[in-house]
Amino acid sequence: MIAHLHDPVVCRPACVADVADVVRAARSKGQALEVAGNGTRRGLGNPVAAAVRLELGGLGHVHFYEPDDLVIRVDAGVPLADVERMLAGQGQYLPFEPPCHAALYGGVPARSTIGGAIATGLSGPRRFQVGAARDFVLGVDGVNGQGEAFSAGGRTMKNVTGYDLSKLLCGSFGTMAALTRLTLKVLPAPETERTMLFPSAGLARDVAVLAAILSRPLAVTGAAIVPAEGGMAVAVRLEGSAPGVAEHAGRLDGAGLPPGRVLAAAESRLFWSHVRELDVLGAGSDDMLWRIHVPATGAAALADALRQAALVSSLMLDWGGALMFCTMPAAVSGGPDGAVPRLRALAAQAGGRAILLRAPDPIRAAHGAFPAQAPGVAALAARTRRVFDPAGILNPGRMAPAGESAEAC
Amino acid sequence: MRMPDPDQGVIARRGALAARLRAIVGAQWVLDDEAERRPYRCDGITAYQATPLLVVLPASTAEIRAVLAVCREQGVKIVPRGSGTSLSGGALPLEDGVLLVTSRLCAIVAMDVENRVARVQCGVPNIRISEAARPFGLCYMPDPSSQMISTIGGNVAENSGGVHCLKYGMTSNHVVGLEAVLMSGEVIRLGGGFQGAADGELDLIGLLTGSEGLLAVVTEITVRLVPLPEAARVMSMSFASVEDACRCVGAIIGAGIIPAGLEFMDRKVLNAVASLLREEHDPRTAALLLCELDGTAAEIDALIERVRGLAEQAGAIDIRASRTEEERERIWRSRKLAFSAIGKMCKDYYCTDGTIPRNRLPDILDRMAELSRTYGLDYANCFHAGDGNLHPIIMYDAARPGDLDKAEAFGADVLRACVDMGGVLSGEHGVGVEKRDLMTHQFAPADLRQQQVLKCAFDPEELLNPGKVFPSPCRCAEFGRMHVRGGEMRFPDIPRF
Ligand SMILES: Cc1cc2nc3c(=O)[nH]c(=O)nc-3n(C[C@H](O)[C@@H](O)[C@H](O)COP(=O)(O)OP(=O)(O)OC[C@H]3O[C@@H](n4cnc5c(N)ncnc54)[C@H](O)[C@@H]3O)c2cc1C
Ligand SMILES: Cc1cc2nc3c(=O)[nH]c(=O)nc-3n(C[C@H](O)[C@H](O)[C@H](O)COP(=O)(O)OP(=O)(O)OC[C@H]3O[C@@H](n4cnc5c(N)ncnc54)[C@H](O)[C@@H]3O)c2cc1C
Repeated sequence: MIAHLHDPVVCRPACVADVADVVRAARSKGQALEVAGNGTRRGLGNPVAAAVRLELGGLGHVHFYEPDDLVIRVDAGVPLADVERMLAGQGQYLPFEPPCHAALYGGVPARSTIGGAIATGLSGPRRFQVGAARDFVLGVDGVNGQGEAFSAGGRTMKNVTGYDLSKLLCGSFGTMAALTRLTLKVLPAPETERTMLFPSAGLARDVAVLAAILSRPLAVTGAAIVPAEGGMAVAVRLEGSAPGVAEHAGRLDGAGLPPGRVLAAAESRLFWSHVRELDVLGAGSDDMLWRIHVPATGAAALADALRQAALVSSLMLDWGGALMFCTMPAAVSGGPDGAVPRLRALAAQAGGRAILLRAPDPIRAAHGAFPAQAPGVAALAARTRRVFDPAGILNPGRMAPAGESAEAC
Repeated sequence: MRMPDPDQGVIARRGALAARLRAIVGAQWVLDDEAERRPYRCDGITAYQATPLLVVLPASTAEIRAVLAVCREQGVKIVPRGSGTSLSGGALPLEDGVLLVTSRLCAIVAMDVENRVARVQCGVPNIRISEAARPFGLCYMPDPSSQMISTIGGNVAENSGGVHCLKYGMTSNHVVGLEAVLMSGEVIRLGGGFQGAADGELDLIGLLTGSEGLLAVVTEITVRLVPLPEAARVMSMSFASVEDACRCVGAIIGAGIIPAGLEFMDRKVLNAVASLLREEHDPRTAALLLCELDGTAAEIDALIERVRGLAEQAGAIDIRASRTEEERERIWRSRKLAFSAIGKMCKDYYCTDGTIPRNRLPDILDRMAELSRTYGLDYANCFHAGDGNLHPIIMYDAARPGDLDKAEAFGADVLRACVDMGGVLSGEHGVGVEKRDLMTHQFAPADLRQQQVLKCAFDPEELLNPGKVFPSPCRCAEFGRMHVRGGEMRFPDIPRF
């Protein structure tokens, strides 16, 4: 893939009609567009070679927020931080705890947009309990690759009228449509939270203990194993009413965990923001970063294998073990070109899928940010994209799995 | 309601096609005799009927593949069917189409307790998953009232909800993996055996869930299991006016409480149920709310006191809270019996499924009363108040000429009013054939088109469940030609069914 020689021309429309015009113009010239919010997370997914960058960050209107109806509708360019602030003002939140990750790519977190959060579909630590980004998208407006504006979904809590395009577009990384407006379900934020930190007893044992805890009706909304002073620590977060949290905490005693340290509400919040943004990994600025989805039961063995092969320098588990993050030093033995496929193969052996969250453009371009898919699924995904973007001009290749050229997508 | 005209040529080939399919599934699993096919002529909506060309009952993904391949080669349409409980006519057969019934794919393939998922075949009745999970203290949360009968495949196709979806979500929030067969005969596997297995891929699971059998036949489903709630109590709250009850619903959610269930029943429903249960309510009661709260005993106690306070403020005239599991079941029984109780009160009834922004509840209830007067038909209300999902029950007498038409028109007007108030045509039953022709009321042509073109990626020959959900065919062949012409897509005179 060719890296662009010049910085792209930036188009930053302020209304949907202008977004459609930009896409139509590109369409008629057969020109590719890089679709961005404000571009804070351009390092996510495969690099896109395009002469024009379409930034949706100029769409900044809040259409409505009805706390009693648990719903908010905003333009895609509204900063995520602004949305979260608005919700917090009413004691509500986005339950899927979207990671921002902008800092990982040298972007300014405050500028990250809600459109970027939904287009990347990233979900944070609470996901295993409450659902992912896609579970909170009630409606989406966008402009497809033909330059046609459309509206999908709605604003009601329940809606099965026609195909669920909102889910399809969430996590589509701008490869099907430029998202212009989002309608999201929000929930009352828990009254308080508390985190218990326990010393690790080895990943396999930690994961088994977490699995046992997560099989009980406890208000656990965080279950991670992270690097800590002198080794690893198991972190369990409880959320709810103050008496409820106290009661659940009491029940954790005797769950097979050694005595631990308690982080009260404010400290707990800070701790989980470090987990969410991967600060706890202590990644060096030129380390590569991996996000690996793996069955929790296979996570410990995978971690061992990765360490033994000297492919990773630091790692952590979230979602009770079903999500692994790790760092791969730029100077990994054998070089990235050997190490990247080796890590992917080990992840696949464990039943997992390894996504290259951060790496220099040439490495992501050569190996793909996303792992290979079964041929039938990849072809179906490509056909699905094509009905939205027949000429393939929106973020061409951004989601192309390893081993596939941009053209295939 | 019109369906595409049956292809007489295909009907003439019934015998030959039956022979081909028998070679795949075994002679006894293809029903071609009129008497054997007739029981399948409708789903949960009995008003719409058609006897299928053939009924085929395959036993495996491999057999489904082969059946689809033969049908595609022969240009024969397919309607997938689970248990046929759809309330939107989604499983309505076609006279020139094969009805593919999934009831023999009924194995629980794997219970993976450590990763808290279950892998099951599409024909497994919903309830069996929770039964299999119970010994491990786990359950499958989505619980449509039809859960004893309806299949998980049907639940996925309709993205079914249930009483508990206010707090725990619909079917789509619980699916982590799918195996499906495309009309091409290709088997695709999406996601996998753990939460997050499909992250970083296009969300085709999200698209297939709720696609009403138009895109693929779903053969295997991996669902998330969650811990059984430790305890639950239900409150029964009577109000002297519908407005007070609606206000109470808003107050509960506004106070940051998300109950496990929040149901509304009006006086007519209560009267109907009372005659079955001999359960007495304060004679002034115009509306009853059932509010279920779950968690630990202490949490529930605290919540009950808060809800009691809110209900009193909203003017509740009688508040009861279950103290034992028996009491809880007794209180719920009235809700569970509501529809059959109404069924005993009238000759026929028609129940629809619109959803509104919850704060418009009083407006839509007013509008229903007005429509009832206009059409001269009685109605009753029993619905999921917490998420604004209405199930108005319109009573009519099919034997009286014109009554069914009036009931349908009444239902359609209610759904249009839902859309006009910012809501949608369907909250959980799906569009099927019932709401198909109203789709243009909710979606502008470009919006509808954007959904419909997905057919071209999955089933370009439009053989899977045609005539459902969309008021006109997709015409994928023309879509292909269209984009060669450079974005100029106009469909001036597509025929309506
Ligand atoms: C080298 C560099 C140069 C920059 N130059 C400028 C500049 O000149 N002007 C300026 O204002 N900012 C500029 N920025 C951007 C800025 O730093 C960002 O801060 C930005 O805030 C945040 O965008 P985003 O993070 O919301 O999503 P992004 O990081 O833009 O996007 C994340 C992913 O989601 C997709 N996506 C995002 N939004 C949508 C959407 N609405 N619809 C569909 N897909 C979407 C993207 O395609 C991408 O795949 C630059 C950043 C960098 C790194
Ligand atoms: C008494 C009663 C109570 C109900 N309560 C509720 C409720 O509380 N909540 C709710 O949401 N719904 C409810 N329903 C509606 C209905 O039960 C659901 O829609 C259910 O999911 C249908 O399942 P089924 O197996 O009967 O599917 P069917 O009725 O056989 O089929 C439904 C649709 O799914 C398609 N389909 C079925 N199986 C597959 C498959 N394997 N692959 C692809 N497509 C397939 C069919 O083509 C059809 O379009 C109720 C129905 C009744 C009769």
